[in-house]
Amino acid sequence: MMPVYGFLEGDTIGLLVLADENETVSQLARKLQSAARLRAEVAEPFVVLHNDKVLRPDVTVAAAGIGALDRVDVRREKT
Amino acid sequence: MKREDWSEFARKLDWELSYVSEKDAFPEVQSGRPWLPGTAWTNWDEPFRTNYGEYVAQQHAKEASVEAVRAAVGRLEAYQRLPTSWLDGLKLHAAMLPLAEFAAVVGNLRAARFGRDSAWRSTAVFAALDEMRHTQIPLLLMHELVRWDPQFDWTHKLFHTNNWVAIAARHLCDELLLASDAIEFAIATNFVFETGFTNVQFVGLSSLAHDVGDQMFEKMVNSIQSDEARHSQMGAPVLAKIVEHDRRYAQYLLDKWFWRSWLLFAVVTGFSMDYLTPLEHRTSSFKEFMQEWVIDQYLRTLSDFGLERPWYWETFLEGLDHYHHMVYASAYSYRASVWFNFVVPGPEDRAWLREKYPSSWGKFDPVWERITRRWQASDPGNDFAVHGTAIVSFCDLCQLVLSNGTPDWNSANVLDRQGRRYIFCSRPCRWIFEQEPERYAAHKNVVNRVLTGEAPANLVALVQRYFGLEYETWGKDAFAGDYPWMERTRR
Repeated sequence: MMPVYGFLEGDTIGLLVLADENETVSQLARKLQSAARLRAEVAEPFVVLHNDKVLRPDVTVAAAGIGALDRVDVRREKT
Repeated sequence: MKREDWSEFARKLDWELSYVSEKDAFPEVQSGRPWLPGTAWTNWDEPFRTNYGEYVAQQHAKEASVEAVRAAVGRLEAYQRLPTSWLDGLKLHAAMLPLAEFAAVVGNLRAARFGRDSAWRSTAVFAALDEMRHTQIPLLLMHELVRWDPQFDWTHKLFHTNNWVAIAARHLCDELLLASDAIEFAIATNFVFETGFTNVQFVGLSSLAHDVGDQMFEKMVNSIQSDEARHSQMGAPVLAKIVEHDRRYAQYLLDKWFWRSWLLFAVVTGFSMDYLTPLEHRTSSFKEFMQEWVIDQYLRTLSDFGLERPWYWETFLEGLDHYHHMVYASAYSYRASVWFNFVVPGPEDRAWLREKYPSSWGKFDPVWERITRRWQASDPGNDFAVHGTAIVSFCDLCQLVLSNGTPDWNSANVLDRQGRRYIFCSRPCRWIFEQEPERYAAHKNVVNRVLTGEAPANLVALVQRYFGLEYETWGKDAFAGDYPWMERTRR
């Protein structure tokens, strides 16, 4: 497990989320959704951003290149 | 002798050094930079002049006046009649004030020894005595209330804990008041903090206290303000000298300390003015008070000195509409981590906030809708049903929560330096860090402490064992989530 800084669109604060390197990007995003749900929610479809790039939801955290204490954003998908 | 016969002579009384060099007597590390010979400081001039005899007489009269108000309205019964949420703002202010003022004693005493002109040094002695008084008044006044409400015990306790607010406050106060040299202290504390910002407290919040009927708070801040107005005048003549010899450094100090001061006042005063003062007593919004009592005057002063507005000015203006709302909503949802209670803004509060913050409030309304719905589905008093559980994150410069920017885009940004990852709530905080990284790099924010095992990762354990709070003192919803306007869905 490694900590990452998670930011959910619509929320007022950044949260520390523990990511499993083998979980998918989508699963990590749901963890952040759950941690922030008292204040905000991003309805599906959402996108996960890391280093200004949109990540594929089905790749693992490790394969996506997310490292400890990186910034990860979960945002509404722009249609 | 008449006053005019001796006061000017005494004010500028100094000596010629013979056993040590001027640089040894006034080393740059204590006196500040740019280091200038004593002759460069001889025309240092404070607009308001006093002497020890006059100072003692004036302070004695002020003390008598505070004591008279205390005797009349400073008793427990008077406080118990005040609105609940106002008292929570009082707990916040009372805890932030006295120990910070005590640190300012040290800063002033450094100026009293290492200031480069005798008149500056004498004025700093009076300022140190002032700050001693500003420590003692809130400690005395709030002591009466501890037996009624243990949260008031944090008036003295806060700075002695590892509460996240205390960590942020110490980070600021240590640098501003304890570690700064005489020149940085004068520009940062006397000029930016005291001249630039404290009017929003002393004029703005004082007027709200009057409206609420808190005569003791009003008297306290007015009495303190009369001291601040005198000793803050040390800042301008020091700034003038530094502008003359190193304009770039002067600009840097102003920009750094304006930002750091802004973050503190936004949280402390912003919470009180826009949320904890009952709606019927609010006269202006925090933003309006800032515009009237801080921004206009600060920009005029910069112009007078031929200096530029800070490079982050647009970011600051955007923050006026967002920052304290971001932090308040976040802190509400982690209220057990602090020592005062919070309120949910009701429909009328939110209508007022929408009117005062038309460009930003629409982004915060959904947050309060969600929190309200959670309360509606929960039992009154079940605070942890409407509370965050994840560990929140903190800025490596200001040590406050990562709540800068807007709900649409949080402005947190990371920096890798010498094998360590840092995160900042904003570009200005990162910029301040990068100007003097050796000054800040070793400090650990709360997340670092959790990750290294210094602090527990479980939120309740963190609150109890590290932040120093227990059930009686940790923050709750001031109305137990049971508001007249809130229709419950849970029966």
